[in-house]
Amino acid sequence: MDKKLAVYICTGCGIGDALDIDALSNVATKEYKVPVCKSHPFLCGAEGVGMIKQDMEGEGVNTIVIAACSMRVNYDVFNFPNTIVERVNLREQGVWCHPANDEDTQMLAEDSLRMGIVKAQQMSLPEPFQAENLSKNVLVVGGGLAGLTAALESARAGYKTVLVEKNSSLGGWVAKLHKQVGLKPPYNELEDNNINQLIKEVEENPDITVYKGAQIQKISGAPGMFDVEINQGGSVATERVGSIVLATGAVAYDATKLSHLGFGQYPNVITGEMFEEMAARGEFKRPSDGREAKSVAFILCAGSRDKEHLPYCSAICCTESLKQALYVKEKDPEATVYIFYKDMRAAGNYEFLYQRVQKEGALFFRGEIAGIEEDGGSLIIEFDDVLVGDRIRTEPVDLVVLATGMVPTTAIGERLVVQSDDQGKDSEPPADEIIKSNILNLEYRQGPELPTLKYGFADSHFICFPYETRRTGIYAAGSVRAPMDIPSTIRDATGAALKAIQCIELTAQGSAVHPRVWDLSFPEFFMQRCTQCKRCTVECPFGAINEDEKANPLPNPTRCRRCGTCMGACPERIISFKNYSVPMIGSMVKAIEVPEEDEEKPRIIIFACENDAYPALDMAGINRMTISPWVRIIPVRCLGSMNLIWIADALSKGIDGILLLGCKHGDDYQCHFIKGSELASYRLSKISETLNRLALESDRVRMEQVSIMDYDRIPQIIEDFVSKLEEVGPNPYKGF
Amino acid sequence: MEPKEPKEISLEMKEYLVSAGAQTLDHCMSCGLCSALCPWRLVSGHTSEVFYIRRMQRLAQLGLEGFDDEEVLFACTTCGMCQRNCPRQVKIIENVRSMRSTTVEAGFVPSSLRSVVGSLHSNGNPWSGPREKRMDWQKGMEVPAFTPDTEYLLFVCCTSCYDPRSQKIARNVVSLLKAAGVSFGVIGVEESCCGETVRKIGDEELFQKLAESNIKLFKEKGVKKIITTSPHCLYTFKHEYPELGGEFEVVHYTQILAELVQEGKLSLTVPQDKKIAYHDPCYLGRHNEIFEAPRNLIKAVPGAELVELSRAREKSLCCAGGGGRLWAEVPRGERFGELRVLDAEERGADTLVTACPYCVIMLEADCLALDKQEKIKIMEISELLSASMGRES
Repeated sequence: MDKKLAVYICTGCGIGDALDIDALSNVATKEYKVPVCKSHPFLCGAEGVGMIKQDMEGEGVNTIVIAACSMRVNYDVFNFPNTIVERVNLREQGVWCHPANDEDTQMLAEDSLRMGIVKAQQMSLPEPFQAENLSKNVLVVGGGLAGLTAALESARAGYKTVLVEKNSSLGGWVAKLHKQVGLKPPYNELEDNNINQLIKEVEENPDITVYKGAQIQKISGAPGMFDVEINQGGSVATERVGSIVLATGAVAYDATKLSHLGFGQYPNVITGEMFEEMAARGEFKRPSDGREAKSVAFILCAGSRDKEHLPYCSAICCTESLKQALYVKEKDPEATVYIFYKDMRAAGNYEFLYQRVQKEGALFFRGEIAGIEEDGGSLIIEFDDVLVGDRIRTEPVDLVVLATGMVPTTAIGERLVVQSDDQGKDSEPPADEIIKSNILNLEYRQGPELPTLKYGFADSHFICFPYETRRTGIYAAGSVRAPMDIPSTIRDATGAALKAIQCIELTAQGSAVHPRVWDLSFPEFFMQRCTQCKRCTVECPFGAINEDEKANPLPNPTRCRRCGTCMGACPERIISFKNYSVPMIGSMVKAIEVPEEDEEKPRIIIFACENDAYPALDMAGINRMTISPWVRIIPVRCLGSMNLIWIADALSKGIDGILLLGCKHGDDYQCHFIKGSELASYRLSKISETLNRLALESDRVRMEQVSIMDYDRIPQIIEDFVSKLEEVGPNPYKGF
Repeated sequence: MEPKEPKEISLEMKEYLVSAGAQTLDHCMSCGLCSALCPWRLVSGHTSEVFYIRRMQRLAQLGLEGFDDEEVLFACTTCGMCQRNCPRQVKIIENVRSMRSTTVEAGFVPSSLRSVVGSLHSNGNPWSGPREKRMDWQKGMEVPAFTPDTEYLLFVCCTSCYDPRSQKIARNVVSLLKAAGVSFGVIGVEESCCGETVRKIGDEELFQKLAESNIKLFKEKGVKKIITTSPHCLYTFKHEYPELGGEFEVVHYTQILAELVQEGKLSLTVPQDKKIAYHDPCYLGRHNEIFEAPRNLIKAVPGAELVELSRAREKSLCCAGGGGRLWAEVPRGERFGELRVLDAEERGADTLVTACPYCVIMLEADCLALDKQEKIKIMEISELLSASMGRES
């Protein structure tokens, strides 16, 4: 495409009052010989947009630099099909956070425009990746409440669905429940569970193919074209699907590990699961002698929130035990019910159930079990009751029911640590853990299952996009994702089905899925220069890149989230997007004018993550906070895409300091691409080498973690860095 | 630390408590708001250290021993601060009553209350006053007798019948009602104590006896409407007699006087140049929701400036005289009434007015104990109003 570039400068929102627009226009017309450069007092208005469209039609303009407000606003207004559009932020990060009619503010605006122009010059229009033989079917793994719900929701939305269940019948955990707690007000009554109705609807739905007694032997491919081998009693069926819902749920924690609570030791100590079976039979009899149980003790958090067992809360045991207490009270109001808990967490609306069980006369105890002993078949519990402040002792109890927690099915299996070849070297980022749970059996370079969090739940961006696992196109729902109750599971499965459908449709358009849904670009590899170092295949947080036997990367564009982590990782800089590349950002760095040392105008580049840091910088401007005039802000897709060469380029040009603003990483990470900011900090730890080579101080490069709400801290973060650089002194490379 | 012997749960004791009136005992979730709001937290001393209403209810829930220690069991003043704010609407005072009944019904009454209970049995009043002297308070004044033609029965609290300081309240109320032309009368020596306090002490049987005798008497005399001098009598007539068959229209005297002042039937003319703080009695305020009538009466007195205490209305601090605590011996520094006098001082008041015979006794004693009687005068509203009508009480 022959580019015809045009620059449009908006003078509204205070920009025209604060800047010398003629001088700014000269940057475009004189320095860069841009053929069209116009200003308008209200560029986002119909007249302003009309002016641009007229130039496109009349003058053949096809590459546009909008020097106006932040790229985070008016993106719908400045959206011109088949046109390269680059935004230069003169407003939020320009005149709103710098003094008007000031020499330094003018220099900042001119540098911003220079950076925008050179980027636009180098960008080309992304051509969406079009995969072949795309499937729009959904695979649902697991036929419990979550899987059945997800399958039915997908099918009802018009997507053919394949459901694979390991057991010979559908229904999962919920099918084993005698009754369920009420899903509607007043939330304190028991209902029959309607899982059988749901099973019937699924089995009768012509758009759902059900494989029972079946397991997934292999999944290869990528979103839009996953090839699934399903082994059903020895015969293997194959299905091509577009996306996958993982709904294999959880199993109860192994009660045989709870001998301190008497399980396995005393016959009348049973699990909640066993109590459901008794309830279904309609009689609560002591296993020891078959006598009817007139007193039942429920021990909550049996092996949960316990660092020797499951350290976490399983979210449902309180409510389920309250429900079971009602089984007892509804059968015999005179029966004695003891409930021992650590904290009563009747989540959702089930505080109403808790109140009802209290009013039915159950005795509640908060604290820790001190011991259980048997006396003629009956059990006596000693308990350190924090509400009394003493150890207390029950009267003899007929039955003790242990409420055991949930273990996600993804947590069961051999643990694999995904090693990179230089594992063990200093400051290597923590390796991913993958547990061979034999559920998905993915043919991925990074391992056969989803990377997990420390308790074996699938890793996802917990705060912002909980369904998105780290394998694009695979959406976890229900208790395999996090412990959850029936209402939450139904909502969760519906949400995951919707995500699966979005993935199918976006993949068909060649677009990325969340969080860069509009993005049609994808990484391209200049393979002639590849050294087979494997950095890209190791560092991709989403396992998008496989390898051939010679360690050449084999990218799967539909698995890609377009974060650019591979681009940042590649030492040979052979990975580029049409509109985002190492040289593109490098030339932006080089476009910055660096004043001579005696002018005492230092220059600092901020590489700002587009997801949190960039909007936080905008918010600082919206709040009219003042930011140091020395900074030049370059947005990056993710700090993971930061290539060290940019730092070397900047420092060798005389830039005094570089500040990387990225998302919080670690246990409760906020990075939109899971590992990006963490990888950036790891790469940074290696920068000292580069700095030493240039005989520069490592203080010139700093990384800070900011969240979107940290806008009020940002001016100070920058100021602190400026002071540090003043101590260090000007970059000796100025003027070279 | 040596492990202590575990406490044994007694479901039988718990069942007894529930059947004796603690019907909402199981509703308690031990959040502890009750203990935090309890006026005992505002003072130091032994009772404050041992009496925690949350813990007491927790022990009762499990039938564990410990709630029945005398200093714990009889510490509650039934002020209702906890009950009014309980997030689970637990009827905490009923629970206390039920727990007290476990010992009182078995014949164990704390020494300070023995004469009270004894006198109620023999004399029908808690003050060891002979029944025939119940009407001595009216000596030297004309008090109409109740007849079937009379609109209201004026029921004078035993305290104002026998206690010389308190008798002034009864006399003032009579003068005020007369001046306003209210049709009322008194019955006399056949009346018995309303039973409010003895029920709180836990002697349910005695309460029933007193209440039944009053109900029978009132019905025989043709009583339809009752004016009480004490908020405690008001409470029990209004909220507890109906379930025993005693349905009457009951008002506190401040309510009827406030109406009469508003209608111009009672003219208050003599200026009382005082800065007056009003102490809401628990049983008039929190228990009967009467907050405005006494304030309107004070505001109607010429020259009187009403100031609000920091703890007022629903948040009023108890004088410590309810629930049988009127007769308790409490060391100085542990009395809620002292805090009340200091509250009034903090607002720059020279007079602390209230509307309950128990409060008057407690606050006067505490004011004296603080040696502030020259700075702050304790008055009952009827006394203030009488002075404004030019009558010295």
